[in-house]
Amino acid sequence: MNRRDFLSRASALPLAVGADLVFSQAAGAQQVVDVVAADFERLADVALGAAAMAGAGYADFRIERSRSESISTREQIVRGVSYRESVGCSVRVLVNGTWGFAAGAIGDGDSAVTKLARQAVEVAKGLNSLQAAPVVLEDVPAYRDTWRQKVEIDPFSVPLEEKASLLLELNGTAAKAGANFCSSSVAQVSEEKWFASSHGSRIVQARTRVFPQFTVTVLDEKKGGYATRDSFAPPRGRGFEYLRGYDFSAESALAVEQAKEKMAAPSVTPGAMDLVIAPSNLWLTIHETIGHPTELDRALGYEANYAGTSFATPDKLGELKYASDLVTMVGDRTQATGLSTIGYDDDGVKTDGKEFKIIDSGKFSNYQMAIGQAQKIGRTESNGCAYADGYDAFPIQRMPNISLQPGPEQIAAQELIADVEDGIFIEGNGSWSIDQQRYNFQFTGQVFHRIRGGKIDGMLRDVAYQGNSVDFWRACDGLGGSDSYELGGAFNCGKGQPGQLAPVSHGAVPARFRQINILNTEQEAGKQASRTNAACQANAWC
Amino acid sequence: MVLNQQQGRDLVEQVLALSKADSAEVSMASSQNTNIRFANNDLTTNGSIGGLSLTVSSSFGTRSASVTIDRTDGEALKDAVARSEAMAKLAPENPEYMPPLGPQDYAEPKCWDEATASAGMAELAEKVAPVLEASRKAGVKSAGYLERAAVSRISGNSAGLFLYQPETGVDFSVTSRIEEGRGSGWASRQSTAMADIDLAPVGQRAVEKSLASRNAVAAEPGRFPVILEASAARDIVSSLIYELDRRSVDEGRSFLNGLGGLDAVGTEVFGSRATVRSNPGDPRVPSSVADWSGLPAGEETWIENGKLKQLHCGRYWAKHESIDPQSHPSNLLVDGEGKDLAELMGGVEHGFLVTRLWYIRMVQPQTLLLTGLTRDGTFLIENGEIAGPVKNFRFNESPINVLKNLAASGVPERVLGSEGATPMLVPPMLIDGFNLSSVSDAS
Repeated sequence: MNRRDFLSRASALPLAVGADLVFSQAAGAQQVVDVVAADFERLADVALGAAAMAGAGYADFRIERSRSESISTREQIVRGVSYRESVGCSVRVLVNGTWGFAAGAIGDGDSAVTKLARQAVEVAKGLNSLQAAPVVLEDVPAYRDTWRQKVEIDPFSVPLEEKASLLLELNGTAAKAGANFCSSSVAQVSEEKWFASSHGSRIVQARTRVFPQFTVTVLDEKKGGYATRDSFAPPRGRGFEYLRGYDFSAESALAVEQAKEKMAAPSVTPGAMDLVIAPSNLWLTIHETIGHPTELDRALGYEANYAGTSFATPDKLGELKYASDLVTMVGDRTQATGLSTIGYDDDGVKTDGKEFKIIDSGKFSNYQMAIGQAQKIGRTESNGCAYADGYDAFPIQRMPNISLQPGPEQIAAQELIADVEDGIFIEGNGSWSIDQQRYNFQFTGQVFHRIRGGKIDGMLRDVAYQGNSVDFWRACDGLGGSDSYELGGAFNCGKGQPGQLAPVSHGAVPARFRQINILNTEQEAGKQASRTNAACQANAWC
Repeated sequence: MVLNQQQGRDLVEQVLALSKADSAEVSMASSQNTNIRFANNDLTTNGSIGGLSLTVSSSFGTRSASVTIDRTDGEALKDAVARSEAMAKLAPENPEYMPPLGPQDYAEPKCWDEATASAGMAELAEKVAPVLEASRKAGVKSAGYLERAAVSRISGNSAGLFLYQPETGVDFSVTSRIEEGRGSGWASRQSTAMADIDLAPVGQRAVEKSLASRNAVAAEPGRFPVILEASAARDIVSSLIYELDRRSVDEGRSFLNGLGGLDAVGTEVFGSRATVRSNPGDPRVPSSVADWSGLPAGEETWIENGKLKQLHCGRYWAKHESIDPQSHPSNLLVDGEGKDLAELMGGVEHGFLVTRLWYIRMVQPQTLLLTGLTRDGTFLIENGEIAGPVKNFRFNESPINVLKNLAASGVPERVLGSEGATPMLVPPMLIDGFNLSSVSDAS
């Protein structure tokens, strides 16, 4: 398994604007896409011209084509094979400081985009009387560029049989290892965007991502009950070469062994314990406790009715000791294979050179921003964090890749564990939950290795760790080195009204945290744990 | 554009005529959505969005695949059918394949309101204006979202099934926060018809809650009587009902396996005050007359006076077990005792009132242990009365315990929750011994 990715930069291949992108195996909307590739400049001029004529002070026009394919299996059965393709466009306008947005099909081209432009202006004009303070945007430089993510094997060009075989083989390996059930799936997505703005930008971009997943289940036939173990393989901004290079059989067999061991493991005794957390778990903790709190739109109250606000308010910028001195978190949209990686955001802001430290040696140092926000915290420009999850979505601030930087020395997880007398080493992400201002979190995991005397000593079950974001990161006293850096992530970070999903990656190294509150989930459910590890200590047979 | 019945039928027939597969199914959704979003008492993003999706599923023997597109021109349909057939031929045999359902006896859908379907941005602005005005006047900052949607859902297949369901819906929610940010209140409404919704009192309720929740203090966590307002109650109940799956029980991986497995059906798994039904024809919460697989969704009782009455079961597993399939519910109706808030609080010596829950996740599927947090208005109840605002709590609780410990309930309401938008009519619930596990500083 090669699960390491370092902070190398994605390569952007300069092509002429409007050049045909590579759409292998494209069906359905291929003709539309061909028309778009050839006519993008003209359609953009028509849409932006119509918006200006109708009264827009600023306008952008975006055509987007997205394709996704998924195949899902259980045991030796392929349960579903599906392909989805959507092509459409939107016009976003600012009229006298009020946003308007309209989206729909490209239809017959000129008249369809003209209609959408006028509709967007009508939306803004119709609501202008309710606007108290006009929206003000900073200037964004005009770019004429094409950016394409580096992909070796287009997943849409790989025959279904290969994907099905990969999954069924994985399921078969799990069954041989003793799994009662194994479900698995592969999802793949491609996004192609054509963006034009009234500032003069004309940007064409394409990117691809893949996500393999499996879950093994083992039953306790004698006592009843069951245990599961989910895969650790993260989603990546890569092509099918990622799946061909990943040893799923080895991981599924290991997963079965770990599920069995977890099922037989003693239930954890709640209380404060030291934790060493693997990147396969820590990426999600970073997402929830660092990523979301440092979104400027949340801090400003834009998400108050849905995703929430943030404890990291603007008065704390540059002041708050968010984490221990060891901790530096970097936001970027340029990291190789990152799910948020792209050349330009959906406001047309160039991302290369916009990498920024969110936490710098423990101190809160910057927010994630979309256009129109920087001025509210005394800064001058967006750092390129806008994203719309389809042609029909209004671009809002979404997460860049946010990653915990490695420690200065090449320390491995085992060395962090060696300095723990009584604790838990957690791998894989499980359940997650955090309050709407991002103080109180509670996470579980997939595998909980007991640490005693600096060494792994069996497993525990029913573990959740709970705490306050700032207290937790301040309790970090050990980090792995760059050799232990791994990139985790998700396809489906939710935010906004109407709801939007964004893909995002988080890099991490193993990290050690002192005296974190551990809950016993079975006790939380109201049942007395059958055998706790405290009881285990008293009974050598455990 | 929202497709009408004839347009839907024509498209289904057009796709089926292109099919060379042993069987084919078509499903479509066409929609027009208009929305206003605001924050800090001011507009943020607003839009008008038209959408369409068409899915064609083709099968050769037991090999199947589906393709979804968002165009309906002849060339696009031809490509979609060809692609789904090519993929189906490459897909492995599926021993669990079920052939398309034939014509079904569906009830008449009741989810459409013509005036709502034709409402424009001006009508929405008129609804939102008093909410913004009240917030500005009260000196609080409100953020909210109003969405009007008109959708038509169409399905048909080569076995002769056809279903056309037009739906309209209006969803509104608002969160009011006091200037210093140390207090928050929330309220919502959901309706099929715009005319049924007056947003002014909804906005006012959020404002009042935010003012009442100022300067919340931390209270000791633990197991206490808790009144879950309707929004909070709906999130808990819905998480339970969707776990009532027959196949999971038969396979030994359901929460019911720890409660006797199939033998639990017919027994009092929950408290005697708990009754949960579904009925797509109920005019207060009209919903889809079919589930996702096309099975008719009728009037069903899932829990009655604490007894688990039945489990839902898909077509394949029903055939495997030689039983009748049972559709998933498309709405939920929880019986209420009609008590008002004062009556619910009356017997509470020391407990809490919860407006809303947030970030609810399954922690332990074996026990259905959920975790999540309270949000936007949490209050201490002392000796039957509100004693003041308290900081939010994290909870760790199972919906099984919640319905076991249901001590009293109010008047069912149709409100939004934090998880999912299934139409539900749920009363506020007084729960004994609800597990508030830790304090959250969020306000």
